[in-house]
Amino acid sequence: MHPRSYRLKFPEPAPSGPVPSQPDDGLPGSSATPSVLRVRPASPPPKGPPEGPTGQAALKLEPRELWVAAHLPQLALLALRRADDTRPLVVVDSDDHNQRVVDADAQAQAAGVRPGMTLAAALATAPCEPRARDVLRERELMQRLAALAATFTPQVSIEPPDGLLLEIKPSIMLFGGLRELCRRLRDACRADAVLTQIGAAPHFTLAPTALAALLAARAGARCFITDPAVLPARLKPLPLVVLRWPTEQVARLAAMGVRTLGELMRLPRAGFARRFGPGLLADLDRLLGKRADPRARLTPRERYRGARDLDHEIEDHERILQVLEPLLAELEQFLRVRQRGITALQCRFHHYRAAPTHCTLRLAAPEASAERFMRLLRERLATLVLPEPVRRCELRAGALRPMSLASRALWSPGEHGHASTGEMPSLIEHLRARLGAQALYGIRRVAEHRPERAWSVAEPAIDDTPVNPPVPGAMPRPAWLLAAPQPLPASRGRPRHHGRLELLRGPERIESGWWDCNDVQRDYYVAKDDTGALLWIYRECRGERRWFLHGIFA
Amino acid sequence: MQLQELLAHPSVWRGRSRAAVETLSTGFAALDAGLPGGGWPRHGLVEVLTPQPGIGELYLLLPVLASLSRAAPGRWCTWVSPPHEPYAPALESHGVALDRMLVVRTHSAAAAAKTSQRRRGDGVHMDIWAHEQALRSGACGMVLAWLPRVSPRAIRRLQLAAEQGRALGVLFRSQQFAHLASPAMLRVALEPVKEPGRHGARVTLLKSRGGSRAPIDLTWTAAAA
Repeated sequence: MHPRSYRLKFPEPAPSGPVPSQPDDGLPGSSATPSVLRVRPASPPPKGPPEGPTGQAALKLEPRELWVAAHLPQLALLALRRADDTRPLVVVDSDDHNQRVVDADAQAQAAGVRPGMTLAAALATAPCEPRARDVLRERELMQRLAALAATFTPQVSIEPPDGLLLEIKPSIMLFGGLRELCRRLRDACRADAVLTQIGAAPHFTLAPTALAALLAARAGARCFITDPAVLPARLKPLPLVVLRWPTEQVARLAAMGVRTLGELMRLPRAGFARRFGPGLLADLDRLLGKRADPRARLTPRERYRGARDLDHEIEDHERILQVLEPLLAELEQFLRVRQRGITALQCRFHHYRAAPTHCTLRLAAPEASAERFMRLLRERLATLVLPEPVRRCELRAGALRPMSLASRALWSPGEHGHASTGEMPSLIEHLRARLGAQALYGIRRVAEHRPERAWSVAEPAIDDTPVNPPVPGAMPRPAWLLAAPQPLPASRGRPRHHGRLELLRGPERIESGWWDCNDVQRDYYVAKDDTGALLWIYRECRGERRWFLHGIFA
Repeated sequence: MQLQELLAHPSVWRGRSRAAVETLSTGFAALDAGLPGGGWPRHGLVEVLTPQPGIGELYLLLPVLASLSRAAPGRWCTWVSPPHEPYAPALESHGVALDRMLVVRTHSAAAAAKTSQRRRGDGVHMDIWAHEQALRSGACGMVLAWLPRVSPRAIRRLQLAAEQGRALGVLFRSQQFAHLASPAMLRVALEPVKEPGRHGARVTLLKSRGGSRAPIDLTWTAAAA
């Protein structure tokens, strides 16, 4: 970049004509000399008020922000297009019950299909192929573009569905000037394999306000403005459609004879606010930089990924753990500096021929300690079957979660009445790592008359919730319940189990559940067998009136 | 240090004297009187031997289970491979806090791991492992386990784990193992009472540090009838 662009320039009359344009798109290459560029001087930074009226004037003209907008034209179409498409393609929004055409490709447009038509009309016009809009894929493409842009400035935001905004002012110095920065940005986006493959060519514009850059990009206009003073003049010819205001408002404005932004800006403010509401007026103010327009920054999701290639194949679990150890230490460091924990950790073991073996560790609470991961992985690996020796180990951490750091207890668990529920999550994880998630459960009571439904399996309550007061049971219930009632043989109407059963108490009739097809009609008794064990048995009230053993008072 | 001071240490026990152990009331006055220290040891391994399951071994422990689960620093109670489902309404009516209960079943895990050419009886190894982990963790006040086959060496490990994690471990075994030596701190044999009209059990202390030698008869007041 030419060093001249760093220097403070003397104010000159703002050029009214278009800036030197480039052959391809909005951003000129580095060869052109900027005519209206005013950037902060490289050295020395001005301390206090600059001397002389010229310096003051130059600083006043300097724009506070510089925004680059990137617009992906026909994004809905690009996201759906495949290489082998031959028929004309139209995109339909699946949420739209009118089934209007969102976008149509060049072939369809040539045949007369226009966006906004109903699908039926489009099909009558040309034999085209309708496809439902893929919003997720569109978002994915935009995020890809945003990731490329994020290497140039931290202030990147996606303007759904097809716009991207970058505030590049603070990055100009680092990249060696505005034009150099813009050229590099454009080249980076052109070099991306995925975007070029689908034929996505983002259109770039530069303006002192975010909205102005965005509107110019949507219009496909050539726009490289750094001077706020020329902004209104340059925006004048843009059509109203680029504002993406509600259609009825645009139609009303069109009825008033307002078709361009220039005509819109000429309207009296008070009258405009009364007719169209203060929201649209605020939009116009943001467009011209009269009102602040803060944009939320796009923060990429942070994940830990680590991999280690092995110089020889191993299949011994302890050796694999040794390989994973430095990766886990790296992971711990990664989490510690962010004060975050993870609840899921995936290990992938790559083999020579077989598909990679996956092994996922799930934790009950966010965790960041390499030692804990190591211990859990040791249990998990002990039960893992590897089809082939391992050539490469990969570690992928799940989403980062906030974690509060806990202090260590002075007393050892259980000592001096020290509350020790803190160890419970780790015990549960430890057991689950080896036995599987299904092997552990808590129990809870359910308000239900049918004995087999009066309890249910529950997730162990790790939090220190207050304990419910006991409910005194009116009728005796056995401490053991058989998983399924066991039929008892009977002789002369009396049930037998280890000899004749002596009925001590009963019957207690339980009749319930006709509404969910698990109708129960039973007479329950407490019985004692010859060995002295107390049993809970029942007799069906219908059918064969068989006897069953259902529980044991142990 | 004086000899008397040394002898007063809880880990020192001399024959025919009662060991000074921290205890929990069993909930049965007669049993409290017979046990060394006046109740179940607060940490250590207790073996309960029964001729068959279901003769009242849970009623023996329900009072201590209830008091431990409701104690102020909430500690958990883990059931390792119980023979049937612990029935929530019954436990609740005996005052047990259900949200401090954890059931561990290792059979499903052993079945899932069948593909990996594991040895037979691996389920039992898993049970012992889970019991030991729960005892050692310090998160559990009490761990109940039903282990059909367990070696004296494993019992020794469990006893040490219970002391380390300061938990009460209970091991339910068949009476056929009563004649075998065991490193457990306390061994209790339970027999059902066959008299008509009485529901209870007879408790004999097979091994204890200075407990009663005579059998103790208990009546299940909290039980049925």
